[in-house]
Amino acid sequence: MEDLEGKKILVIQTHGVDTPTRTYSPIYYAIAAAAMEMEVMIWFTMNGTNQLKKGEAEKVSLKPESGVTLKTMLDMALDNDVKLAVCQQSLELWDMKPEDLIEGVEILGATSIIDLALEYDHVMYF
Amino acid sequence: MAYEKVNECYIVKDLYYAVEDNTWVRVNDDGTVTIGMTDVAQSLAGPILHAKAKKPGMHRKKGKPIATVESGKWVGPVKSPVSGEIVEINEELAKDARVLNKSPYYKGWIIKMKPDNLEADLADLVTGDAAVEAYRAKIEKDGVTCTHIEGTEEPA
Repeated sequence: MEDLEGKKILVIQTHGVDTPTRTYSPIYYAIAAAAMEMEVMIWFTMNGTNQLKKGEAEKVSLKPESGVTLKTMLDMALDNDVKLAVCQQSLELWDMKPEDLIEGVEILGATSIIDLALEYDHVMYF
Repeated sequence: MAYEKVNECYIVKDLYYAVEDNTWVRVNDDGTVTIGMTDVAQSLAGPILHAKAKKPGMHRKKGKPIATVESGKWVGPVKSPVSGEIVEINEELAKDARVLNKSPYYKGWIIKMKPDNLEADLADLVTGDAAVEAYRAKIEKDGVTCTHIEGTEEPA
């Protein structure tokens, strides 16, 4: 297997707090890629945006007995240097303002996703 | 006793620990070191599903990953506590990653490394009673209680 260090993976997350079972895996894969020394960004858009509103991700838990919430996963991603970015236009969809976002999220315009898709080595859509 | 138990977490005294990264180092007679993850690490991860070590021959700087470990609720790197060249990896982990849960300090070792400058790297790690105290502080601060799956080996 070739050395993966430094490869760039872009994960696009379009699922949000209304569909918990579709929220965990993309973040898990992103953290796994970061642990493998890749540069990783998760781009949140469409319904994916609503999990970035302060206080929302804490309410989502796949297995309550595990003590792991969606917020735990987002924090783990940030701890592993996964970049989190949100589509500016999608904030309006959810009536969210920049100050409603959890810490560590970058706001980028729609043209950025096109640039990023071309720049990164691989794009994963969810 | 060669080990102590803090909140059910085993801390083996003759190892050197990078407490923040939850890794340990055993100094071998042949000049190599063995590296693994701690009982605290396996408890926080829960039952481990996969572990993938970097390849022998690869040089790793201290702080860079030597392996990735996955459980149902956690995935992350195991960061090298020393700089050096990986000379051997534990092939058993690929067959049954749960050995990391059952025997984190012995059968669940992850890699062996030929260190670049062991003396300097060991100076940044803690061992013996100092390690027990450093872990006691961390365990209390983080509110950790270790858990052990069936078949866990008590340290020697």
